[in-house]
Amino acid sequence: MGEALPEAPGTATIQADRLVMRYAGGRLALHGVSLAVRRGELVVVLGANGSGKSTLLRIIAGIVKPTEGTARVAGREITGLTGRALADARMATGMIFQHANLVKRRSVLANVLCGTLGRNRSLATALGVLPPGEVPHAMRCLADVGLHEFAAQRAGTLSGGQAQRAAIARALAQRPLALLADEPVASLDPDATAQVMRLLRHVAADEGMAVLCVLHQPELARRYADRILGLRQGVLAFAARPDETTDAAIDALYEGAPR
Amino acid sequence: MSELARSEPLPAAPIRIPRETRSRAWTFLYVLLFLVILIQSGLVVQARPGELLTGAAGMADILSRAFPPDFSQFPQQLWPAFETVDIALFGTIFGVAIAFPLAILAARNTTPAAVLYHAARGVIAVCRSVPDLIWALLFVTAVGLGPFPGALAISVHSVGMLGRLLAEVIEDMDMGPFEALATTGASRLQIFSHAVVPTVLPSLLGIALYRLDENIRASLVLGFVGAGGIGFQLLTAMNLFQYRTVSLLLIMMFVLVIGAERLSAALRKRLA
Repeated sequence: MGEALPEAPGTATIQADRLVMRYAGGRLALHGVSLAVRRGELVVVLGANGSGKSTLLRIIAGIVKPTEGTARVAGREITGLTGRALADARMATGMIFQHANLVKRRSVLANVLCGTLGRNRSLATALGVLPPGEVPHAMRCLADVGLHEFAAQRAGTLSGGQAQRAAIARALAQRPLALLADEPVASLDPDATAQVMRLLRHVAADEGMAVLCVLHQPELARRYADRILGLRQGVLAFAARPDETTDAAIDALYEGAPR
Repeated sequence: MSELARSEPLPAAPIRIPRETRSRAWTFLYVLLFLVILIQSGLVVQARPGELLTGAAGMADILSRAFPPDFSQFPQQLWPAFETVDIALFGTIFGVAIAFPLAILAARNTTPAAVLYHAARGVIAVCRSVPDLIWALLFVTAVGLGPFPGALAISVHSVGMLGRLLAEVIEDMDMGPFEALATTGASRLQIFSHAVVPTVLPSLLGIALYRLDENIRASLVLGFVGAGGIGFQLLTAMNLFQYRTVSLLLIMMFVLVIGAERLSAALRKRLA
């Protein structure tokens, strides 16, 4: 896999078509959701608990398979792949979670270097050696999130906000074309939240990634998103620019659902 | 007046006493059952307390003949002691080396397939349920007398305990880093070595040190079936009625066991 996947002109980096997700119990989590995120765009998905927004992200990340429909990242279909082909396809997609999910006992730099494992497959890296050639790149990624001074520190010693930024650096080290964020600020204080959201903005605007971010806070979506998608009971309720999004439309997302 | 007192309003629901009398009957039954079990075990082992008393003189005789311990034997018993420790070390290291991959297969959250999960659980259960002495007997017939069969026996028996504990550690592990690395496109082996191994390493070392302590005790006994080390020396000295050597060996064993226990505990404390 090369560093930059070619992108066909006119196609969006993240593209989902009529995704349907029915869980084993018969519950319908997604009911025909389509969306597209172009490069350089930060799109926020809003929705109540159980609206299907995490499922949507997990399908695009290739963690779960949809019942129907397809998801493409950089023109490559993720749904339906398994094993090595799936691992290869995932390299184009970076993902961050509610928790930073760092290996706490390893250094910050080692955690960031883990983002480069996909394109450095060798016996040595399979046995736990980190690719030494990637250190300069990993340091640049850490500098990008303002954590280069913490490189040698154990990841477990970082604050919540720092850890989330380190997780973003790990995703950047992957050199992805798309970045998925699943409630990345849900457990952060306001300052750290602002830092992480500004970083996501920067990643989209300056590095040209397609960023798809699931959030719980409408005010953050208004402030940072290029577009807002409202998801309600597995159906796309609206898709609009922040200045076009009305309070009524947002409130409707949370009606009758535990907030 | 007593008539009146009796006509005081009673609680609406009748008080239920029978429950207690029933449980008292059960208590009696349990005590009876316990006594039956105790008496039958006494009969089966042919317990004869009287002989323990008359035999006390014989024991005192042996003890007097074992005293003082023959310390001149000490230099030539150092090698068997060293052998005993190394049997345990070898057994522990190879036990961990076999148990760790098995544990990954035997943990619900990391096993690649249900078939492998049950197979790994089965292997671990067999290793554990067959005592190390039996393993030693098997390996002595396979590779002959000496410390090597002892080391093999300890490896295999350790896998039983190590595999089960390590699988539990892996099952309790935080899956966040695992999932994060999976989404970066890392291969399965890379995910294990870069996310699972660093996460469980401290627990793994702690369990291994604990097992090393147990293995030193096990390796002392293994000498009795011809698997070398200090146990074999003890057996030989007993057979030759060299009780002063026996007492020296018992002291050495005591020091070894206590030393290993202390060292293992101290190292585990530093890990935590």
